[in-house]
Amino acid sequence: MNERILIVDDSGLARRNTRRILEDAGFEVLEAEDGMTALEQYFVQKPAVVVLDLVMKGMYGLDVLAKLKEMDDKACVIVVSADVQKSSRDLVKAAGATAFLNKPVQPDELLAALEHALRGPG
Amino acid sequence: MNLSPKQQDALKELLNIGFGRAASSLSQLTGHRVLLDVPAVSIHPIAELRNALGTVIKEDVASVHQIFSGPVGGDALLILDHAGAGVLKQLLTDEQPLPLQIDASGREVLTEVGNILLNACLGTFGNLLDVQVSFSIPHLSLDTLQGVLQSLLVNREGMRYGLLVHAGFRLRDAEVTGFLIIVLSVASLDRLLRAVEVWEQGD
Repeated sequence: MNERILIVDDSGLARRNTRRILEDAGFEVLEAEDGMTALEQYFVQKPAVVVLDLVMKGMYGLDVLAKLKEMDDKACVIVVSADVQKSSRDLVKAAGATAFLNKPVQPDELLAALEHALRGPG
Repeated sequence: MNLSPKQQDALKELLNIGFGRAASSLSQLTGHRVLLDVPAVSIHPIAELRNALGTVIKEDVASVHQIFSGPVGGDALLILDHAGAGVLKQLLTDEQPLPLQIDASGREVLTEVGNILLNACLGTFGNLLDVQVSFSIPHLSLDTLQGVLQSLLVNREGMRYGLLVHAGFRLRDAEVTGFLIIVLSVASLDRLLRAVEVWEQGD
């Protein structure tokens, strides 16, 4: 398993924790600390899945998600956020994310969501 | 301005649930059991908030501040003393803490911990009260009580009263102690109380 995963989070701690989980599971990991860099990375590197934070400096995660979907309507995006609100979960789902996970993210949850995203619908 | 016993009771239950969710997140992050004090709720003229918060914050502190907005808005703070902040960094990264002023990694850890805890707490309120709460980027500061107070939204907006709720927590045999603090304007408090009433009736 060596699919490329892009982590988008303005927190270095969150990126490091997520990177550790993904690398331990054999994924190739890319990082972006803001939305604009994430969009560039997505365009150039074509990651299989994007793991995206919501509240970030610069572009808000939901705007990044909308742009990614504009660039590629098949983009697989897993949102990982500290926001525990049901209404936020609904917004993220309506915007086309594959999954919504809460921080601190648990390795088994993230890997299950990735497996589901990589398997694709059906 | 006072809260009725029934309002106090309902607010405390709401806070218990929200702070409980935050404590659970902190426990998950650190792998240690977190002990949470019963939340305290009080209303103060803004000018007297300094005295009220002074009973909680005794010295220079590390604080993570997030402004939240929506039907209910205000300031949410995670407060830790510098030693506790260092232990927390060590627990999360296995790296030795340095004085926070020169420890970029320590500041980064605290900011993210604050983000997770404050969101867990306020997001739970949002869920229970069926209101959408939006959050600003978390801001870490190493400051005195006065500095913390000056950064509060309720101060900047010229409000006259604030609702102060705070709960202390202890982690790993009290090596880390800190406070979660929420300050609301009275306009938000009025909306909060109405939402709490609806929540009570709904349950």
